[in-house]
Amino acid sequence: MGIDLSDLVDTGGSSQKKRIHVDEELYKLELERIFARSWLFLTHESQIPNPGDYFSTYMGEDAVIVARGSDGEIRAFINSCTHRGAKVCSAEAGNTRAFVCPYHGWTFGTDGALRGVPVDKAGWGADLDKSKLGLTPVAKVESYAGFVFGCFDKDAVSLKEYLGDLTWYMDSFTARGGVELLGPPVKSVIHCNWKVPSENFLDGYHVGWTHRPALSVLGGPMSQIAGNVDLPPDGGVIASTKYGHGVGVIYDAAPGLHRAPDYYMWLMQNRPQVETLLGEPQARLYGSHIASTIFPNCSFLHGTNIWKVWMPRGPREIEVWTWTMVEKDMPADLKRKIQKEAMRGFATAGTFESDDADNFQSVTEAARGTVTRRGALNATLAQQYDTRSDVLPGLVSEFIISEAGVRGFYSAYKDTLEAEDWADIKRRRADRG
Amino acid sequence: MGRDVSHETYSEVCRFYYKEARLFSEQDYRQWLDAMVDKSIVYFLPIFEERYRRDRKAEPEFPPFIYNDDFSDLDQRIQQLETDLARRIDPAGRIRHLITNIEAFEGEAEGEISTYSNFLICRNRREREQTILVGGREDRLIKGPDGLRIAYRMITIPQRVILDSDLYYMM
Ligand code: FES
Ligand SMILES: [Fe+2]
Repeated sequence: MGIDLSDLVDTGGSSQKKRIHVDEELYKLELERIFARSWLFLTHESQIPNPGDYFSTYMGEDAVIVARGSDGEIRAFINSCTHRGAKVCSAEAGNTRAFVCPYHGWTFGTDGALRGVPVDKAGWGADLDKSKLGLTPVAKVESYAGFVFGCFDKDAVSLKEYLGDLTWYMDSFTARGGVELLGPPVKSVIHCNWKVPSENFLDGYHVGWTHRPALSVLGGPMSQIAGNVDLPPDGGVIASTKYGHGVGVIYDAAPGLHRAPDYYMWLMQNRPQVETLLGEPQARLYGSHIASTIFPNCSFLHGTNIWKVWMPRGPREIEVWTWTMVEKDMPADLKRKIQKEAMRGFATAGTFESDDADNFQSVTEAARGTVTRRGALNATLAQQYDTRSDVLPGLVSEFIISEAGVRGFYSAYKDTLEAEDWADIKRRRADRG
Repeated sequence: MGRDVSHETYSEVCRFYYKEARLFSEQDYRQWLDAMVDKSIVYFLPIFEERYRRDRKAEPEFPPFIYNDDFSDLDQRIQQLETDLARRIDPAGRIRHLITNIEAFEGEAEGEISTYSNFLICRNRREREQTILVGGREDRLIKGPDGLRIAYRMITIPQRVILDSDLYYMM
């Protein structure tokens, strides 16, 4: 195998070769070592509330069905028939008692078990052992704050341990009344490597420059970041966690990108409750803008109410799936207003997303060049501020215009690619805890 | 559905749409907004779900959309393009709008016209990136003192996964 990982990514994650965004062989390795071993976002419990509800999605390039069984339990299976391999479900969501394969009619329960086959005894006699022919289950399915994740590797740490210090940041907006996603997701294709958007959601540096057009017509407190004329008025923090997740907080800027004064009022009104529940530091986060990437390919924005997955589709293509994230106990009309603002900024015609997508493609396109891809990417910005804090979990930088999150992402990326198994991943990441 | 509009009105509608297509191809969205759009506009591009015909799950309570703009939303989008700061459109991309299958009917209220039309948009940008988008529109036009204006537009694009990195252009 012609991949020397130590040449591709430096240990601290501050430098990578451009090749990482275009290489076919590396992409295959990523699917095996990252996507087949990491916890990957599947859906939110609110999207499949009733027995029989299901949602079709992907883990890496593997099509999976996430279904709530008649017992209320959420499970996930590979969406490929155990007979001759057809997809047993072609709908993206719905409610059913069974998945009936379109090819020869094998029927699987919402728990994945093979229930019936046409012809049956007449053809197989007594020989067909249905108990061994259920849909291949995803080894682990667990939820945090209603967000359902799956993992193909049975040896992985629990979801809660995997999310690690990120849960402290997430709790700030999920713990009080809970959150939900408004589906179905908007889906579109971007011709870029999946890592480019993943790292972008940890990149506070691009905001003032790339989003200058959007910010300058938006008005409000965030507009002074446009063109990097000013840093965010109340500062912020970037943190990276053990397994590569990162978070970028802009203090007191929660509805920063929305033209929704009633959302601001909502946050103000509920903040004391968050403070009682979690204390002042997390209550401050609740009123702040939080951008995050959950390693490897799931990103969210609290304050801009966005939840995304960057689905890999080969080294130079992704599908991006986008949901609006709202708090469960918000009144319906506030949810609608927030959805309008969120979709306006970050769906397929997004006033922010469109400018991001162009950069994602540009980075990927340029790396096609043979000599170009030998060149390095630089993520050293504000490295001197990387530190630990008494209050904020993770490896933190209290200087918001920092590439600390990007470094954390690639340091986990490298370790996950190199590690033999989960025990090895744990060993390699031990000092990051 | 109301009665077919008169020949005269039909040709007025066609002239209106051809002019709109020309302004779109010139990316002169400001003139479009000023001259062809009513202040009450709802400009809507919903997304749909791929479900089984006999599926029994409830429809989503808050179905998402790619556009759900009112007049000031459209105005702000156009302003964003006019800032001259958007590197995404510099150098400018090329775009060509074709309009076809135009049908026009008397609307519910006096002076209103309901229309169906189809479009084909070919966008070419960044050296050789090209996408062709085919879709349909259902409009409500109102006839004012200075001619027709769009009061409602619902766009449908027959793609579940949008095969383009952005749809930040009028259609
Ligand atoms: S492939 Fe599914 S029943 Fe034959
Ligand atoms: Fe961005």
